[in-house]
This record gives sequence, structure tokens and C-alpha cells, in this order.
Amino acid sequence: MTNAQSQRARSRRWRAARSYLVLTVLAAAYVAPAYYLVIGSFKPAADVLSGLGGFAPQHLNLDNYRSVFDSLASDSTGYFWQFMTNSILISLAVVVVGLVVNSMAAYSFARLSWRGRDKSFLLVVALVIVPFEAVAIPLLFMLNDMRNSLLVQALPFFANAFSVYLFYTFFLGLSKDIEEAARLDGLGSFGTFVRIAVPSAKPVFATVAILTFMTTWGQYLWPSLVVSNPRYRPLPLELSVFSGQMPVDWGEVLAFGTLLILPVLIFFVAFQRFFVQSLASSAVKG
Amino acid sequence: MSNPTAESPRRRSLRWNRRELPGVAMATPGIIGLLVFVAIPFLVAIFLSFHNAQLNSPRAPNYIGITQYTRLFADAQFWRALGNNLTFAAVVIPVQTAIALGLAMLVNQRLRGISVFRALFFLPVIFPMALVAVIWRLILARSEGGLLNSLVHFVTFGQVGPQDWLGNSATALPSIILLSIWQGVGFQMIILLAGLQEIPQERYEAAQLDRANRWQQFLYVTLPGIRNTLIFVVLLTSILAFRVYDQVYILITSGGANRTATQTVLYQATTSVFDQNNLGRASAITVVFFAIVLGITVIQRRLVRQESEA
Amino acid sequence: MKHRKKAGASVVAVTTAALLLASCSSGGGGTSSAGDGTGDVEVWAHQGKDTEVAALQDAVANFNASQSDINVKLTLVPEADYTTTIQSTSADDLPDVLELDGPTLASFVYDAKVAPIDSYVSQETIDNATVGNVNQGTLDGTLYALAQFNSGLGLCANGEMLDAAGVSYPDSIDSAWSADEFLSALETLAAENDSGYALDIKENYGLGGEWGTYAFSPLLQSAGGNLIADNKASGVIDGPESVAAMEAFQSWMPYVDPDEDDAALVEGRVAISWCGHWLYPGYSEALGDDLVILPLPDMGDGTKSGAGSWTWGMGSTTKQGAAAGAFLDYLLNDENVKAMTTANGAPPATESALAADTLYSSGGPLELWGQQLGAGCNADSITDDCVTVLRPLTAGYPVITSEFASALAAIATGDDVQSALTGAATAIDQSFADNNDYE
Repeated sequence: MTNAQSQRARSRRWRAARSYLVLTVLAAAYVAPAYYLVIGSFKPAADVLSGLGGFAPQHLNLDNYRSVFDSLASDSTGYFWQFMTNSILISLAVVVVGLVVNSMAAYSFARLSWRGRDKSFLLVVALVIVPFEAVAIPLLFMLNDMRNSLLVQALPFFANAFSVYLFYTFFLGLSKDIEEAARLDGLGSFGTFVRIAVPSAKPVFATVAILTFMTTWGQYLWPSLVVSNPRYRPLPLELSVFSGQMPVDWGEVLAFGTLLILPVLIFFVAFQRFFVQSLASSAVKG
Repeated sequence: MSNPTAESPRRRSLRWNRRELPGVAMATPGIIGLLVFVAIPFLVAIFLSFHNAQLNSPRAPNYIGITQYTRLFADAQFWRALGNNLTFAAVVIPVQTAIALGLAMLVNQRLRGISVFRALFFLPVIFPMALVAVIWRLILARSEGGLLNSLVHFVTFGQVGPQDWLGNSATALPSIILLSIWQGVGFQMIILLAGLQEIPQERYEAAQLDRANRWQQFLYVTLPGIRNTLIFVVLLTSILAFRVYDQVYILITSGGANRTATQTVLYQATTSVFDQNNLGRASAITVVFFAIVLGITVIQRRLVRQESEA
Repeated sequence: MKHRKKAGASVVAVTTAALLLASCSSGGGGTSSAGDGTGDVEVWAHQGKDTEVAALQDAVANFNASQSDINVKLTLVPEADYTTTIQSTSADDLPDVLELDGPTLASFVYDAKVAPIDSYVSQETIDNATVGNVNQGTLDGTLYALAQFNSGLGLCANGEMLDAAGVSYPDSIDSAWSADEFLSALETLAAENDSGYALDIKENYGLGGEWGTYAFSPLLQSAGGNLIADNKASGVIDGPESVAAMEAFQSWMPYVDPDEDDAALVEGRVAISWCGHWLYPGYSEALGDDLVILPLPDMGDGTKSGAGSWTWGMGSTTKQGAAAGAFLDYLLNDENVKAMTTANGAPPATESALAADTLYSSGGPLELWGQQLGAGCNADSITDDCVTVLRPLTAGYPVITSEFASALAAIATGDDVQSALTGAATAIDQSFADNNDYE
């Protein structure tokens, strides 16, 4: 080994060490609020707001979780597991239907030609900007007869302009060669979409699925307007059982918060590698 | 983004021909969904903005022309809210993008366990904003027991007393910006990371042969290499930044946040309807909001396009 | 293209028409009917404290067990979303019986969402309700709601700490602290306390919410100002008396503990707490005999305090008026009122339960609040003798409270008092003008 080589190896090792140090410090600062949430959920309320002591893993117990479950365990309040099930069903429905509807539309915009297409696409792009808060009240009027159902909570979110836009940019960037070959083999437009475009678009499907799942999971405004029956209430609405009541019991709030993200967290940890990589590889080509 | 392929020249008949039908059929569910659940309600909002209307009231909306708009433009609180929106966007768009890029470059190293760090930086993205607001309300609490106050106390050896981060008009908006970036930056980081990974390694090697230092490599290899991704991230962040609402609403109503200093346009819209039952005003606010964001988006696109043509 | 454009336009037209129709048909008002007094009765209530929830659930269960004709089905909605839920529900979809926050009643009457109850509830029940209870539920001479309990508001203080600091304190309504006395008491107490604080105003509840109006609008009225008079806020909410009251309030802020843990008084960080009845059980347990109950400071025109709380009404389209009335009769009987007030520490809102109460009656620890409630009035007819003032009984109340509470929160963080209140006055007057004074 020459002197220069060993020097380079040493400097590389030193650089790696420095990177780890920077990454660790940043990650610690970054994860601190999340740690605070979880550790606080196992503490008595008085301990939560005790400054840096809030980080200390002491006085841990399950009381907060017990009272969260106790508060949501009757016909009149609804049941925790019912809320959880509702949220999962709604989110999954929005994800699955949304993937089908939006990817098809995007493919049509990106690859197929039909009159009115460009104008329609312009409309989609403009609709990306409309915030849900702007249309919530008119929607409330339109869907009033569907109150208190799971469907009414999912229906307005199936078609999503932003998802269409994400799919669209991805399909535009796909090489046309394979699709054209498939067409020559006699596959129709829909067949080409299903057999050729969809398989090569797996990462963007994953991205849109993850994004949609997360935004749907956190929905608050819309369900608070259209659901009063506990049978159909989604989980996030119940946050205000704990955070909206004075005085706030912070231990219970944090316990509920932890339960609220638990399903997403499990999903995230289980598919963490896939999660981040798929998001990365679907990066939009602009 | 590039333009879709040119429109079919055959446009004589009023109906789509057979070749066009699959395209129309595939786009229809999405277009109908967007029309029914976004476009039409938004048109209704425009309609309502010219009326005095209440939610679920037995009285029909009565037409009052552009009164809601003239009032809005004469209302100092509305301008303040708009100003907060613009400040928020003006800070969040560059800062969040820069931090995202910094993090993306950090986690783009070939190190063992790097995917764990990627995951950790992405973690807050999975938190619903309502929960983020609750956690940060505790962190920013104005008593000595607040996490940030306690930290400041510790770091300054007790020289600096507890601050009312959310209540003080000087620190309220920065606090909201901080927690918003914390929640959102991981997403941009991942997109930029993907952009970074597409830059061929040879370009860096060529730059090193040319004795380019790391800063020069960043300027002449990295930035041009992720140009399109960056543009996408900036557009995305802009749209999301203007939409800031959940955290502001929760922190004002239950976190003691300074209303004047933190209210945004969408906050005003929702309080108009839910606290004051003034549907017309709320609708006018959302229409103005839409117009402004549309305008900014169009300008951004123009700039991007001009630059790429230049 | 032309055809499609037309189709698009007609979709919009149809939707708009549907929207208008929906908003027309959703009200109507006065479509309630008695029914045959049997069957299911739907009931909505807010999900508050666990103890209150349990008391209500027990009442429902006992009622269902006590007879076989009527079956009450209770739905609880979290307190923070409760009023929004009623707002966003059209009259047709509202339940037979619903709980309402007292001051919001007028706006729901205005929106034709609640029905008069006097023909469904028994006369004994109505006669047994306290005057304040009937006042809160009556609009234009028609009774729309009756409550199980009222509310008490004053100062809860640590007598030992006051004595130790040499601060003398009032022992009756008439001897309430003046604004100056209160300020100097705060100065003295803060100087004596290691925390540097003297007062807890339950800032943790959020001054910008209903707590702000409930707890601090009495200051305006005590100074001779008010929230609104003759459907006009300008010159009233931002008149010199109201401004003076809010400037005094602002001057107390340096002595106010943030109380994020809801324990400022209990832990001795402050000597005085701006105090609602629901705090009494916890304070009493922690401070024992040291706890003293005082009137709010007198800003010039005699001490004033708040009143009113959750109350019970009926959906305007109920077809079960008789059965719903029977349930309300049951809910307002002594047994259930006592169970509820034991659960939340509130003053009973029925004469018989109040007479049997040991907290608020003469000689009880909360006698002072009992006396305050005995001297009650409406916000549009405040007399010198009146202590507890109901929040304004107008359909414009949501605007009034949202504007006042926002101004209060801004004042607390140091905003200019006059301009904050004038801003509120302008917005309130505009809303009243737009809506024909909510007549």
C-alpha cells in the first residue's frame, strides 16, 4: 500500500466518521419531537410539561392508554376499534380507487390523443390549486343526503388533481418504444396501459399510494362536517375528545396521538426501505 | 413540464371517433370526479361570494354584488392574513428547499445504515398536521415547563427566562414556520435525493480531474443535474405553503398563538363560516386566495419556461 | 364543443338551484309534532368530562329501564366539535333532543333548528326551573330550552397566602375589590411569590374561545360598558368604559401564570385563580380550609359575573315531541340534576334541587356564588343589583363572542386595547347590518 493510498483511506474513514456525527446530531434533533410524543404518552400529565425532564424515561405506566380506551368504549361515544376500522377502510378505499381513477386519467392525458384533452388537462392543473377548505361547504350541501356513512368521507377524494399530475409527469417520461411495440402486437390503449405502463410505473403508484394514505388518514375538517354518528366516525376526530376539553390532560392527548399514528408507523417501519426508495425512484422528471 | 403531444387535427365531427374513445373513457372517471367534487363546488363558492349567506339557514342567500370583496380589500385583518401567507411562503419555499437539499446530500452518501437516517428524516411526514400542532404546542409552551424554554434556560445557564414563543408577535410566525418545515421537509428531501441519484458519477469524477473543489462541484455538477427536480420541488412547496391552515387553526384556537401575527387566509375563511356563520365572506376569501395562488403559479411557470428557453 | 359547454353550464345551474332549494327546505321551523309518546328518541349531547358523561349515560340507562314505551338513544360528540356539528347538520337531520351551549341557543332558533318545548315538557318541570334557567332558554317569550345546571364564576384564592402577604380580601358581593385594589393585591402577591406570578386566568382554556367571553365580558359590564346594546356594538364594546375595563385587564397580564398544567393555584404558583364552579372540587381538595371564594373585581358599577351553561332543547323537526318531553322531565328531576351537579360541581338550575343543595345554599362553601346567581339579569337589562349577567340572547351571538374573544386574546398579548375593541365593534355591526339585526 502506498503512502498516498493509506492517506486517502484514512481521510475517507475520517470523513465517514464526520458524516455519521453530523447525521446523528441532526437526526436526534429531528426525531426529538416524535420521541417526546411517545415517551410522554407513558407519563403522568404533570410530567409532560416539565421541561427537559419531559424526555426522561421515568414514571412510565399505561394509565393514559387505559383512560383513552375507557373514554371511547360505549355505544354513545363509539368504540376505539370501530374508529380505527373506519379510518383504515376509508383510507384504503381512497387509495385503491384513487390509484385506478387517477392513473388512468393521467395515462390518457399523457399518451392518448382525443379532442378536448389539452383543455381538460389544463383544468386538472388549475384544480390542483383549489384548497379543500374552499369547497368543503358547497360539498356539504351537495352530499347532505349521504351524511353519516363511510362513503361520504371517501367519495370527494377519489379523483385527485395532484395525483393525476404526479402520474402524468411520470408517464410522459416513460420511453414510448415499448408501448409502441405492444400496440403493434395488437394491444389496445387500455391493454397497453395495464400491461406495459402500469408495471413500469410501480414506484409512482407506491408514491401516490403512500401520499394519499397519509393525507386521508389525517383528514379532520370534512368528517367533522358530515359525520355525527359514532359508528362512522374516523379516528382523528376523536383527538378533540382529549385535546379539545378543558383542562387538557396532556398525557391522554399524547397517548391518543401515539395510537393515531401507530398504524401508519407500523406500515412505515415495515416497508421503510421500500417506502423511501420508491418515493425516491419515482422522482418527477419535471 | 413539457406539453402533451399535439391535438388531433381531425375535429370536424362533434363526437369522438373510435380511435379517441379509449382515451376519453379512461379520463372520464377522473374528470367527472374532479368536476363534481372540486370544480362545481368551487363554482358554487364563487356564486356564494356574491351573496350574504349562512350555513343551513332557512333564509335563501341574498345577492349583494361585490360587497364581500370590497370589504375584504378594506379589511386590515385580511391584508394581515395575506401578508402572513406571503411571509410564510417567502420563508418556507427557499428555506425548506435548501434544508431539503442539504439533507438529501447528507443522506446521499454511501454509508452503512444510511437508509435508517433517510427514514428518520422522513418520519415526521407521516404525522397528521393536527398532531404535529399538538406536539409543538407543548414544545413551545410559554411556561418554564415548555421544552424549548427549558432548553434555552439550560443552554444559556439560566440567563434567558421563559419566552412566549407563540404569543409574542415577533416569534409566533417563525414558530409556525419552524414546525411546518419540521413536518414537511422530509418529503422534499426524498424527491431531491432521487434527483441526486440520477446524476452520473462520472460527472463528479470529471470535475475532480478539473480540480474543481466541492463548492464548485455543487455549483456546476449538482445543481444543473437536479435542475428539473428542484423546479418541481419549488412548485410543490409553493402550492403547499400557501395552503397552510391546520397548524395555524389549532394553535390559535387552543395553543395561545398570536392571532394577528399567525392567521392565514384559509384560517380567516374557515372562522368566517364556523365562528361567524358568514358563508359569503368565507367564499370570497377562498376565491381571492385561488386567484392569487393561480397568478403566482402562472408567473413561476413563465419564469421557469423563459429560463429554459434562454 | 358548444354542446359540451352548455352541458357544463346546466350542471352548474342545476347544482346552484339544488343548493338554494336545500337551504330553503332545511328550515321551515315549527314542524315538530308530539307523536304518540312511544318509540325511539334520539338524543345528542357533548362529550365532556368523564364524570359528566357517566352521569348522563346513567340517566339514559335508568330512563330506558324505568319504562317500556320510550327508548332513548344517546350520541355523544366531542365538546370541541359539538357546536360545529349542529351547525353543519340540516334541521331535518337533527335529533329529537339536543344539548346546546346556552348562548348559542338564539342562533339555532334563528336558523329554525330547535323547537319550542313548552308544549312537550310538563308544567311542573317549567315551574321548577330557576329564573336564570328560564331566562337563558326563552326568546321572544317562547321557551326553547331548559338546563340541568347553571354555572358559577368568581375568584378562588388561597386565603393563607393572602393573609401572609398582608392582602385583605372581600367577604361579600358588596365588598368586592375595586380595580385598583385588585391590581395592588396582584403586585404585592407577585412580589411575595417565588414564581413572580399572582393570578391564574385559565389561559390554558384559550382566551380566544368561549371561556374568554364567559369569564371576562362581565368586566365590561362591571365598568358600565357592555358587549352590545340595542343591536349596536360601536360605542359599547369599544366605548370608554369597556376600554377602561380591558386596559385594567391588560395591566394584570404581567402577573398571570400561563397555567399550562392547570395547577397554578394548587401548586402555590399563584394566590388567586379566575375560577369557574368546575374547579371547586379540585381546589377544595388541594387547599382545604385555605380556599376562599371571592367575587370578581368591581370595575366601578358593582361586581358582575357570568352565568349560563349547557342546556337541553328539541330538534325543530322532531316527530317525537311527547316522548322527548317525557325524557326531559326525567332529566330535570331532582335525582338526575343532583347526579349531574355532583359530577361537575355546578349549581343546580331547578328550584327543588337548588334548595336541597349543600354547596350553594346559605352556609355552604359556595354560598357567595349562590347569592350571585340569585341576583341575575339579561345583558340588555343590567341593573345595579344584578350580579350574574347572561350572555346576550341574540342570534348574532356567535359573531359577538368570536370577535370579543379574539380581541381579548390580542389584548392579553399586548395589542392596543382601543383598536382591538374597535375592530371587534366594526365587525359585529357589519354582521348585524347584513342580517337585518338578526330579527
